[in-house]
Formats: sequence, C-alpha cells, structure tokens
Amino acid sequence: MTPDYDLLFLGALLFSAGLSIVIIKRNMIFVLMGIELLLNSSVLNLVAFNRIHNDVPDGQIFGLFVIVIAVCEAAVGLAIVIQVYRYYQSSVPDQINELKE
Amino acid sequence: MQEIQLSLLIFTPLLAASIGLLIPAVNSGLFRYLSLVANLIQIAVIASVLSLFKSGDGIQFVEYQSWITIDLGTWGTLRAAYFLGVDGLSLPLVALSVAILLIATISSWNVKRQTKGYFLLLLLLNAAIIGSFTALDFLLFYLFFEFMLLPMFFLIALWGGPRREYASIKFFLYTLVGSIFILVAMIALYISVQEPMGSQQIVHSFNLVNMRDWSNYLPGSVLEPGNARLIGIFDARQWCFLLLFLGFGIKLPMVPVHTWLPDAHVEASTPVSVLLAALLLKIGGYGLLRIAFPLFPDAAAYFGSFVGWVGVVSIIYGGLNAMSSKDLKRMIAYSSVSHMGFVLIGMASLTPEGVSGSVYQMFSHGILSAMLFLLAGVVYDRTHDRTIDHYSGLYKKMPVYSTFVLIAFFASMGLPGFAGFIGEILVFLGAFKSNSAGGPLHESLAIISTVGLVVSAVYFLWTLQRMFFGPFFVKGEIQADDLTDLRSHEYLVLLPLATAALFFGIIPQPLVNVIEPFAKDFTTFILNAGTSIHSTH
Amino acid sequence: MTISAQILSADTLISGVLPALLLPLISAIVCLIVSEKYGWVVAFISPLFLLVSAAFAVYTCYHQLGSDPLIFNLTWFSVAGREFDINLLLNNISTLMMSVVSVVSFLVHVYSIGYMADDAAQRRYFSMLGLFTFAMLGIVVSGNFLLLFMFWELVGFSSYMLIGHWYEKPEAADAAKRAFLFNRLGDAGFVVGLMAIWSGYGTFNFADIDIANGGGWQIVAGIGVLCGVLGKSAQFPLFGWLPKAMEGPTPVSALIHAATMVAAGVYLLDRVFWIFAPPVLITIAIIGASTALIGACAAIGQHDMKRILAYSTMSQLGLMVMAVGMEAPFASMLHLITHAFFKAGLFLAAGCIIHTLHQAQHHSRDSFDVQDIRNLGGLRKRLPFTFVAFLVCGSALAGLPFFAGFLSKEAILEAALHWASHGQSWRWLLAGSAFVVSFLTPIYTFRMIWKIFMDEEVLTQNLEIAEAPPVMRFPLLILSIASLWFAVSFNPFDFNGWVFRNISDFIPPAAGASHHPFPWLSFASIFWIALALALAYFSRNASIRSRLLYEAFYFDKVIHLSVELPINFLGNMTRRLDRKWIDGTLHTAAYTYTILAHVVGWFDRFAIDGLVDGVAWSARMVGYSVRRFQREGVQLYIFWALFAIIIFIIWTLL
Repeated sequence: MTPDYDLLFLGALLFSAGLSIVIIKRNMIFVLMGIELLLNSSVLNLVAFNRIHNDVPDGQIFGLFVIVIAVCEAAVGLAIVIQVYRYYQSSVPDQINELKE
Repeated sequence: MQEIQLSLLIFTPLLAASIGLLIPAVNSGLFRYLSLVANLIQIAVIASVLSLFKSGDGIQFVEYQSWITIDLGTWGTLRAAYFLGVDGLSLPLVALSVAILLIATISSWNVKRQTKGYFLLLLLLNAAIIGSFTALDFLLFYLFFEFMLLPMFFLIALWGGPRREYASIKFFLYTLVGSIFILVAMIALYISVQEPMGSQQIVHSFNLVNMRDWSNYLPGSVLEPGNARLIGIFDARQWCFLLLFLGFGIKLPMVPVHTWLPDAHVEASTPVSVLLAALLLKIGGYGLLRIAFPLFPDAAAYFGSFVGWVGVVSIIYGGLNAMSSKDLKRMIAYSSVSHMGFVLIGMASLTPEGVSGSVYQMFSHGILSAMLFLLAGVVYDRTHDRTIDHYSGLYKKMPVYSTFVLIAFFASMGLPGFAGFIGEILVFLGAFKSNSAGGPLHESLAIISTVGLVVSAVYFLWTLQRMFFGPFFVKGEIQADDLTDLRSHEYLVLLPLATAALFFGIIPQPLVNVIEPFAKDFTTFILNAGTSIHSTH
Repeated sequence: MTISAQILSADTLISGVLPALLLPLISAIVCLIVSEKYGWVVAFISPLFLLVSAAFAVYTCYHQLGSDPLIFNLTWFSVAGREFDINLLLNNISTLMMSVVSVVSFLVHVYSIGYMADDAAQRRYFSMLGLFTFAMLGIVVSGNFLLLFMFWELVGFSSYMLIGHWYEKPEAADAAKRAFLFNRLGDAGFVVGLMAIWSGYGTFNFADIDIANGGGWQIVAGIGVLCGVLGKSAQFPLFGWLPKAMEGPTPVSALIHAATMVAAGVYLLDRVFWIFAPPVLITIAIIGASTALIGACAAIGQHDMKRILAYSTMSQLGLMVMAVGMEAPFASMLHLITHAFFKAGLFLAAGCIIHTLHQAQHHSRDSFDVQDIRNLGGLRKRLPFTFVAFLVCGSALAGLPFFAGFLSKEAILEAALHWASHGQSWRWLLAGSAFVVSFLTPIYTFRMIWKIFMDEEVLTQNLEIAEAPPVMRFPLLILSIASLWFAVSFNPFDFNGWVFRNISDFIPPAAGASHHPFPWLSFASIFWIALALALAYFSRNASIRSRLLYEAFYFDKVIHLSVELPINFLGNMTRRLDRKWIDGTLHTAAYTYTILAHVVGWFDRFAIDGLVDGVAWSARMVGYSVRRFQREGVQLYIFWALFAIIIFIIWTLL
C-alpha cells in the first residue's frame, strides 16, 4: 500500500468522524466543528488525488479554495449560531422549531 | 316607425332599479321617491298609449327586435325576439298594472326595514309584470313570467308575517311547478312551429302570433293540428292545452290548486298582497286568454265545458271557504278564488259577452281586491290582529274606514253601479248563451254558477255584521285606542280605487270598447278552428 | 211585447222624468257630503228635494196618464253588436207608480224630520232614504230588464242600510243581513231570468222583446223573474226577512217594507205581465195565495204592532201576486196603489205611538216594550189624532166600505171569481183563499186597534203622553185622506174609477173587467166583512197564544235547518278539505320528498363521499408516515439522507 492511499484512508476516517459528529451531537457548535472536519477530510482527499494524478496541480488549488470557503463558512456559521442562541437561548437545533409545520 | 312606449314602460323601472343600486342604503328615504318617479313616468307613458290606442285595430304599439338567433344546423334555426305589443286584452291589464303599482308604492311609504332592498325588488317586479302583459314572444313572456317569481318570493319571505317562510316557499313551489308545465308546452310548441316564408332552412321561433296560425305547423310534428300524436287518452295538442291550463290555473288560482293563495296573502305585507291579488292573479287569466286558448283552439273547444265546471267549483268552493275563514285577509283571499272562477267561466263560454265579461272581471277584480287588501291592511297596521271575531262594532269607532269597507264589500259582491257587476253579469249572460251560440257550456252550468252571487253576499255580509255592526268591543290583545280612523295617505289610495270601481260600473263603454273587438275575434277564431278540426276528425 | 210607442222627447224627459228621478239622488249625495257641523241642514234640504221631485212626478203623471207610452233609449254599451241600453218606458202604470212612490217618500221624509230628530246619524239616514227613493223610481221608470235589475239591487242595498240604521243593536244588524240575503237569493233567480231573456231574445228592452220568438226560454225567464219577486215582495218561501226588518226605524218600515220596495215585486209582475207563460202564471197564483194565507194567519198570532203590520203587508202582497197569477194585473196594481197609502199611514201612525211612548219612557225611566199591544190600551183619549188616522187607515186595510181598500180588494175578488169560473174546479180553492184572507184581515186589524186604543190603559197610566209634533201629523193626515174611496174612484162601490180605467187600458180587454160579471159581489163582501168585524169584537179579549202562528208556521226554523245549517256545514267541510286534504296532500308530498332527499343525502355522504374520502385517507396516511421522517430534527434528516445515499451507492455498485 502506497502512502498516497494512506492519505485517502485518513480522509475517509476524518469524514466518518465528522459525519458522526454532525449526526449525533446535539449542540450546534459541535455540528459546525463536524462540518469543519468534513471539509478538511475533503481537502485531504483533493490533495491525495492530486498526488496520484500529478500532471497538473489543480487538486491543490481546489484544496486552497475549499479552505478559504471553510473559513468563510465557519465565520458565517458561528455568527448565525450566536444570533440563534441570543434569540432562542439555545443552540440545540431540535428546539428551534419555528419553521416546522 | 318603431314605437317605444312599451319598452319605456318596461325599462323605466329597470333603470330606476339600477340607479337605486348605486345609491347607498343609508339614504332610505330616497328609494321611495325613486320608485314613485318611475311609477309616475309609467303613468305618463300609459296615458299616451291609451290616447293613441285605436280600438279594434288588433295588436298595436308593436316592437320587434331580433334577440337570440342560433343556427342549430339540421335542427333548424332557433329564433327568439324582443316582441312587444298590446291589444284589447292586454291594454286594460297594463293600464291596471301601472295604476296598482303606483298605489302599491304609495302604500309602501311606511316600510322601515331594508328600504333599499324592498323598493328595488318592487321595481323589478314592476318591470316583470308589465313585461308579461306586453310580451308577444313566448320565450320573452316566459322569461318575465319566471322573473316575477323572484322579487315576489323575497317580498313575502323578508317583509312578511310570522309564517312567511312557509308561505313564501309554498308560493314559490306552486308557481314553479306551474311554470314547468308551461315550459313543457312551450318546448313542444317550439319544435312544431316554424316561421312562415322561411328559406330552405327551417326557422323555429317563439312568436305567439305565428303560433296561432295553423299553416305554420310543421307537417308531421308533435302538435300538427288535426294530426297530433296520440298520447294515452288525449292527443298531444290536448295534453299541451291541459298543461298550460294547469300552469296558468295555478297562478289564477283555480280550485284545487289554490291553497298557496290564502297563505301567501295572509303572510304578505299589505302592498305585496295588493300586487299579488290585483296583478299576479291576472297573469293566470291573461295567459289562458293569450296563450292556452288561441294556440289550442281545438282543445279549448273540447275542454271548454271542463274549464267552465272548474270555474263553477272555484266560485262555490272559494265562497264557502271564505265564509268559514276566521282571518280577515284569508277571507278576502278566498273571495279572490271565488271571483276568478267567473273569469274561467267567461272565457270557457266562448261568446263575446262571456269573454268580455271575463276580461272586465279581471280588471274590476284588480281594483276591488286592491281595495279590499288595503282595507284589511289598515286594521292590521293598527292592531296586528286580523281575527274577525276579535272585533265588533267598528263602525262606531272608525266610521270613514267602515264606509270604505262597506263600499268595497258591496262592490265585490257585484252590486250594480260598481265595476264588478258588469263583469259578472256579462259572464253570466255569456255562459247561458254559450250553448245556443255554439259554445261548450251548458245552461245548467250558468244557472248553478249564480249560487256564487248568494255565497258572496253571505260571507261579506256576515263579516260586516260581525266586525262592523253591533256594540263596539275588541277581544284579544287589541288596544281600543289604537283603532284610529283612516289617515290621509290611506285615504289617498282608497279614494281613487273606490272612484274607479264606481266609474267603470256606471260608464263601462270606454273599457268595453277596448275589450270587445278582442273578445269578438277570440270567439270567432276559436269556434271556427274548433269546428273545423272536429269535421276533419 | 212590442209596444207601439213614441220616442220620449227630450222636452218631457228634462221637464218631468229626469228631475223626479235624479233629485232624490242629489239629495242623497248632498246629505252624504255635508259636513258634520251643518248636519242639521239635511233635515230641511232632503224633504225639500223630495217635494220638488214629487211635484215633477205628479206633473208628469198628470200629463201622461191615458196617453200613449213613451220610450227613451240610450245605448249604455254594446258587446258584439248587441246593445245594452239605458231604456226608460213611461206608460200609465209607471207614471202613476212614480207619483205614488215620490209622494209617499216625500211624506216619509217629512215625517222623519220629527221621528229622527234626536238621531245622531241623520245624515246617513236621509242620504240612504234619498238613495232608496232614487232606486225605487228607477225601477218604476226603467223599460229594460237589466236597468231594472240594477235599480232592484240598489233598492236592496239601501234597504239593508236602513234596516241596519241602528247597527249597534245586534238584532238590527242581523235583520239587515237577513233581508239582503233573502233578496239576494231571489235575485240569483232573477239573474237566471236575465240570462234566459238575453239568450232567447237578445235584448232586455221591454219594447223589443218579441215574446213569441223566445227559443223556448220563456218559461225559464218567467220563473227567474218570479224568483226575484219572491225575494223582494216577501213571498212564500222567502218571506222570513220582512217581519225581522221591522228592527229598522218605523218611517223606513212605512216607506220600504210596506208602501214601495216590497211592492216593487208586484209592480214588476204587472209591468212585464206578458212574459209569463200560463204554467208560470198558475205558479204565481198558488204562491200568492199561500203567502196571503200564511201572512194573515201569522198576523193574528202576533203581539208586536209592527210585526202585525209586517205580516199583514205580506198577506196583502200575497193577494196582489195572486191577482197577477189570476191574469188580473190591473186589479193587483190598483190594490198596490191603495195599499201603499193606507199601509204607510198605518206604519206612520204606529210610529207616532212608538215615538211618543219612547219619549215618555225616557222621561219617567220606565221600560216596557212599547210595541207590544198587550202593554197598551185606552190611548184614544190621549192620542185622538193618531187614533183617527189609525182607524181610517186600518179600515182601509180591513176593506170597509167607503175606504180605498174596499174597492181594490173588490177588484181582486172579482178577478179571482172570474178566473175560477173559467177553468178547472181546483181554481175555486185559490179564489176561496182570497175570501178567507179578506175575512182574516179585519179580524187582526181591529183586534189591534181595540188593544191599542180601546179598553183601559195597562202600563201607560203614569206616562206623559203627548200627541206627535205637527211635522209628523201632516203626513198622517195626507195618507189618511188618500185612504178614502175617492182616491181611486168617485163611486164608493165601483172600483172601475179614474185610476183603474187609466191603468187597465194597457191590458187587452179580453180579461173583461170593464163590465161587472158579479153584481152581487159588493153586497156579499160587505156582509162578509161585517161578519168578520163581529167575530173580532166578540173575541177582542181572547188572547191568542199559538206558537205556530207566532212563528209563522216555523218557516224561519225550516230555513235555518234546511239552508243555513247545511251551508255552514259545507263551509266548514271545505275549510277542512282545504287544510287537511289539499294542503295535507301537499305536505305529505313535501315530507316524502324531504325524506327521499335525506336518504339520497345519506347515500351521498357515506357511499360516494366514502369512496372519495377513502382515497384521501390513504394519501394522508402515506403522507403521515412519510412526514414522520422529517419531523424528528435536522440531524435525523441528515442521517436518513445519508442512509439513503449509502443504500443508493450500494445499489449502483451491485
């Protein structure tokens, strides 16, 4: 097994961990962190795939873009979470049910 | 030159009604004036019609405008027209309608509740009544005839007495059933008659004048004269006559389909009762004379005796019922049934005297029944009690009112000098002469019908004796102080009616002159047609 | 009858007939519209109008009597070429009758000034009296059945109003109704007669009816006209209203129910005598004779003086009708004229007694029935004038010689004998009944006179009785004078005097009345009356307590049971028929319809809607179960999405 495939393995591991955090954790902050993990695992995969097909470095450039988007997303997401917390005094998504039905 | 008087008569109230729609309901006083103005314009128009009408010239003031024309391919062309005109039959009734509608407006002056709706409905009814009397196209007539139902229904159902819902629904259903019979006959006529001198294509129309002419019937059609299809015991023409007879008979009303009348009258408010008795009943008689008899002369001659006997039964049965009524308005309503029996006998006699008497009787009953119901309304206004036994000796308390009642009662029982007498005596003379003049009625029918004279005297005099003579007292929840004599607006409507009843009783010539040419044509037409068909059979 | 008549010139019309006819009508209208404030004026104006009217009538009569008939014709209206005319026919009997009516009416008007002085409704009273006179004169002059019928009914109406003048008395209101209804019953028959005449002859004019060409309707026409007469002249079986009509004011009884209106029937029979076929004439004779007998018998059984006079009127009218039936209309006419005067006189005299006793009672607060002759007696000293007038008129009624009644009754008796001797023997039965009636008449008349004026006073001793005022005595005087023999003939034993000669010439002389076939009749009838008077004198104190006679053979009860009750029953039957059966059928139909509608509605809701609802229900259930996935939260939703993606990936990979 080459180290490139180890990277893919690590990416899959990180993705699974992020996904399980997103599904299981009740607090929205943790859900955001899980999403960060998901994004990071996808960046890792992009880099890994670039290494496997290494004729042009587009995978790495994609990775940079994703990192930038992840930063923005984290900033906006955190801001929303704080606003929601202020309004509902809670950061648990199941309790925020104003739009439901 | 197209004349417009009749259209003016019909559209003036409609125009007034649409103006009324634009006025907010808050200005309740305005609607009476609106209605009054419409009535006054109509009076002016009818005055010009009366002055221009040439007696004996058949149908006049004709307006013909094609209205609906639909090409139905192999089914021919459907054509309905806006076709108006008046002759010796309809002119007296139109004139009567205009006058009575004015009186109804004046006597509605005190209506307080929902003035807007009330007067708008009154205006609609106005247009429908005039329309029915002037329409010469069956579809147009039917339209007006049906349209009359609607305002009347609401006028009874919304402004009526305690059992108004029952009464209005009964009225509505009865009349609707009658209309259905008429509708069936109308459709049968429509498919059997074509316009004369049509091109290759057959043009079916509702033209009542064409329907009289037997050459316009399609050969082989359901109602082809002399060759009509046999359905059960009668042929199709006879069935159609019976349908029309029943349909208009309900409106007239004749026994035994009269029971809507007493209820409707008892529950309706005074002006509505007046319209109902004075005008709506006449449309039944008018329909028979305008449609049922002339369109089916053979069947009319065949069933003449039957029609006459229905009239006799109505006279006696209505009279007996009036006698046993405890409610003043119910008594008067039954007296209407009794009086309308004379109309049936007169037309069935198929003599000029009888037919003239029939129309004259309708006219005079229009005046007298209006008067009777206004009078009944006077006492009801004051006490809200119409039970005859609850009053006694009213003459002492209300002398002017009682004098009017006396006049109206005696005029209604056919005292000479009042219009009712001329109508009744002409009907009697015609009925007796019928047999020897080739008509369908037997002399015995005329003799039996004179019982009506006695019965009418019995119930009117008995009511007079119980309510107006004897010592004064009241029973029930009546306050004696409420019984004040006539007020000026009541006087204003009663006096012209009494004068008219007297005028047409003493000077019948003007009215007879108008009616008589129609009666003569009617009689000869039906008798000739009736005999010719029997000879071909 | 085709009359060779001249056209009535406008001159005669305007200067004679029209004023006489219309002045009473004008009087009626004036009385009606005069305001309450000037109500007193009618008592002066109305008699004045009538005086002028009477003057015109007498003037016309004076000019016209004995000359050719005059006709005035005006088309009223026409239907199909047949004309209904306003037709006046002036011949001898109509001009004579016109003056009788207007003179008696004038006298009654004058009398009423006194009699009705205290009445609050004078205006209505005089107005109706004027209307009545107008209508009565109309009957007299009209030469046309229809016009006559119109006035005929109008007379009935004014009679109704006058009988019911004191409407607050229930008896008066009832009597008025009864009178009108009985008249109406007869008039229904009259209408049948009119129809038959119209159908048979095509005209109503007396002058134009050609009796031979009636198309077989002559008998029906005759019977019909007779029916009208039965009601108006109170003949058997329609006489029940006349005694009851005495509830009206006494002058009214005098004018309407003695002198004129009830006589109108007889007048009609005389005027259209030619229309009656022989079988109808026999019917008329039988009816007349039976009415005369019933009336005379019932008069004997009465105690109320007005009722005695009423039954007596009925009986006399019966005699007249019988005379018509015996083909002697002229004799009947003669009796009609004399009867008008002496019976009006009797009623007015009775009115004087009633009036003065009422006033006296009013002062002394005494109350007994002043009309009951058993309560009276000995009044001849208190009321000498009334006594004499009553005696004169009563003697005329009884048929004493030297009085007018003697002559006219003799005319009838002679006609009866003549008729009976020219036919089958049963005719003597009817002729005999005429003699029985003329025997009974003096008995009840003089019994009444005796009870009122002779003997001792019974209940009236303490009353202040005064003779009636002059305004009431004047008419009495005139009528008493007119009851003497010279009013009809200057020879007191020959009825064929100036009146009879003038009225009889309109009848062909075949009846043979100009010579006297029975010269012994005058003596026989004097003897006959003397016998009756003797009987009356000897039985003066015997009181007759026959319920049968008092109730006039229970005819009222018979009518009540045979007509009123069945009609009432029928009325209630029809009401029930209407309510129960006609409306009941309708209601049943309506209920059936409603029930049907409910059944259909149920079917609609559960069967058809059920099907539709089932589809909707299943859809909802699916939706519900699907929705459950999304309900629990965002994360579960992600989980399920992921789960689905994984399943999808596995699905594609496999």
